[in-house]
Amino acid sequence: MTKHRNSIAFWAGVAIFLVAVLSMTQIVRNEYPFFAGYVILQFIALAVAWSILGGYAGYVNFGTNAFFGVGVYTAVALFKATGAPLVVQIAAAAAVGMTLGFGVGLLTLRMRGIFFSIATIALAIIIETFVMNWRFVGGAAGIQLQRPPVMAPFDSYVKMLFFVQAVLVVIAVGIARYIQNSRIGRGLQALRDDELAAECTGVPTLKLKLVACMISGALMSAVGAPAAMYLQYADPSSAFNLTYSVSALAMSLIGGTAHWIGPVLGAILLGSTQQFLAVTISSEINVLVLGIMLVLFVVAAPKGIIGLLRPRYRLRAGGKP
Amino acid sequence: MKRRTFLGGAMAVAVVGQGSRALAQQSPIKIGMSMPQTGGLAGGGKASLLGIEIWRDDINAKGGLLGRKVELVVYDDKSSASETPAIYAKLVDVDKVDLLFAPYATVPTAPIMPFVKQRGLLLMGNFSFQVNSKVGHDMWFNNAPWGPADSWAASFLDLAQKAGGKSMALLTADQEFAQNLALTARDVAKKRNIPVVFDQSYPPNTVEFASIIRALKAAKPDIVYVASYPPDSAGILRAVNEIGIGDDVKIFGGGMVGLQFAAVMSNLGSLLNGVVNYNTWLPEPSMYFDGTKAFFDTYTKRAIEAKVDPLGYYLAPFGYAMGQMIDAAVGATKSLDQKGIAKYLRENEHKTIVGPIAFSADGERKETATLQAQFRGVKDKDIEQFRSSGRQVILFPDKLKTGNLISPFEAARK
Repeated sequence: MTKHRNSIAFWAGVAIFLVAVLSMTQIVRNEYPFFAGYVILQFIALAVAWSILGGYAGYVNFGTNAFFGVGVYTAVALFKATGAPLVVQIAAAAAVGMTLGFGVGLLTLRMRGIFFSIATIALAIIIETFVMNWRFVGGAAGIQLQRPPVMAPFDSYVKMLFFVQAVLVVIAVGIARYIQNSRIGRGLQALRDDELAAECTGVPTLKLKLVACMISGALMSAVGAPAAMYLQYADPSSAFNLTYSVSALAMSLIGGTAHWIGPVLGAILLGSTQQFLAVTISSEINVLVLGIMLVLFVVAAPKGIIGLLRPRYRLRAGGKP
Repeated sequence: MKRRTFLGGAMAVAVVGQGSRALAQQSPIKIGMSMPQTGGLAGGGKASLLGIEIWRDDINAKGGLLGRKVELVVYDDKSSASETPAIYAKLVDVDKVDLLFAPYATVPTAPIMPFVKQRGLLLMGNFSFQVNSKVGHDMWFNNAPWGPADSWAASFLDLAQKAGGKSMALLTADQEFAQNLALTARDVAKKRNIPVVFDQSYPPNTVEFASIIRALKAAKPDIVYVASYPPDSAGILRAVNEIGIGDDVKIFGGGMVGLQFAAVMSNLGSLLNGVVNYNTWLPEPSMYFDGTKAFFDTYTKRAIEAKVDPLGYYLAPFGYAMGQMIDAAVGATKSLDQKGIAKYLRENEHKTIVGPIAFSADGERKETATLQAQFRGVKDKDIEQFRSSGRQVILFPDKLKTGNLISPFEAARK
């Protein structure tokens, strides 16, 4: 019964969020909030997607930038070849990301812990090198894109992208929440605590890891797809920037990985701080502030913001009291 | 009660004070930009910004633009394309700046081109390469001396052909700027029927070039065109020094980024001798215009404090020139109307500390003023030597020429 009520509250919250975002795009005239807001929403979706594998299953993925860049370049290639609309670009990026996720999932057969993380970094470098030599999408020189006309009811493309990114956040959170409360989530938690024990008690670990990798990968690539139209430009060093990996990881850790709300809170906090610092301090100090924030959270709040706010989540975090 | 009265009085005084000050002088003219201050482009970005700041101080000392002080609004774009759209939206929509300057380099500039075109805003470009060719914005003006896209490779190949070069080798970094240069080099070579006997791209961060240089040498080219980035420029010259490049090579260099910066130049020292490379400004007699010397006197002093390139030839004077052009255009049109300023910039030639500047329809220079210069008589570990003329002899363009090419490359190295 409580679960049912929780669900109603959640979906009501989602509906309010989307309506608020939509009305914001209709009312607010100043475009800056949409530019900055888009980036924050993008990081929320990335952090949530990261935590599906990194948080629930405990496989630390440093390859967020690989998935993100694959999303960007799937959109670029598709747009250049066929002029496909944004929705198709995102769907295609998700499909490619899912395939890539399947590959990464297979890696987990032989690699765990730090070795898995290193392999994901290597993956990003390999794909980036490939794109650098792919002339059709501009190669190392990058490519400039012309946005198609904006669709009603939006009066500017950035506002539309802001709304699209909000929908992607909702999808990511919806999936993360579903996984967390389902057999998959419990299975992932079991294999995070002890993969061998989980396997012995009948948890289909490989299947679960593959599912987690594919979902996480599909979401990350889907989030990357609109970035091509946001920037109207794509170059490998920006699309495969390690910042995406580091930020997604830091946001999840700062927020807490035990519950889907953790990465959301972490991304809002860190993402807004980044946007705020970029236009206030705006120098090397900006990077230092983020570093200090991360250190403080790791030392003072190892379970993240949700660990501080609601001690009961500690119990849920892998069942350790 | 007493305290409250005092506070009230103090606030009233402060408010009145503010008001009268605001009346006494008009609000400043704000010029907004992002600049790479962290990340890979930071070294160049900071030097460029110092050039712009020196202009701001000079113009404010003269009473400002239209009698108003000039204020710069600068944010760090971390050398990344993904940061600039939000920054420029903030500059325009929140900070309400009067004029926009572009960040240093192509990558951070590319995403803001469609934005300024859509909003109909003037953008003064800062050393980006062909960002407007596809966008076609008629209010874009690049301060860089590049000129038409193919002039870069054409000037180098002119020199090479005059020296008897008949076949070309191309060595290119897998990065944006280098790849753009290589594209035009291939085109120009094709037009002139110069066979490309060696065409190799290498990934960024390559450190060991011995095998590549051996392969290049085996192809026996007469012309070696290198488009590289700072760390690899150094690696390539070291490998050439160890292995040699062969007596056939008439000319070596062209598009090596890094050989314009004091730290790289003093580090490489005598290895630079003989290399013919592009540059934008050099302390040769033909390069001094009205105000150039005064600018570098100030720059040299302030560079130490700002911890930027001590020579500052490559970017800083062009940042200053960007300001000078705005000064001229605002002065002539007597307004901040961006369309009017753009019209003036397009239709007139502008006197700057880097020489006269005239724009073609795409907002790039009408004629290229990109120098090709040969390093000569460079000693090891000495930055100061680069301040005197004769260390980098200008071979192109003819108007600014201060010497002739010494060829072949091996002879010029001695």
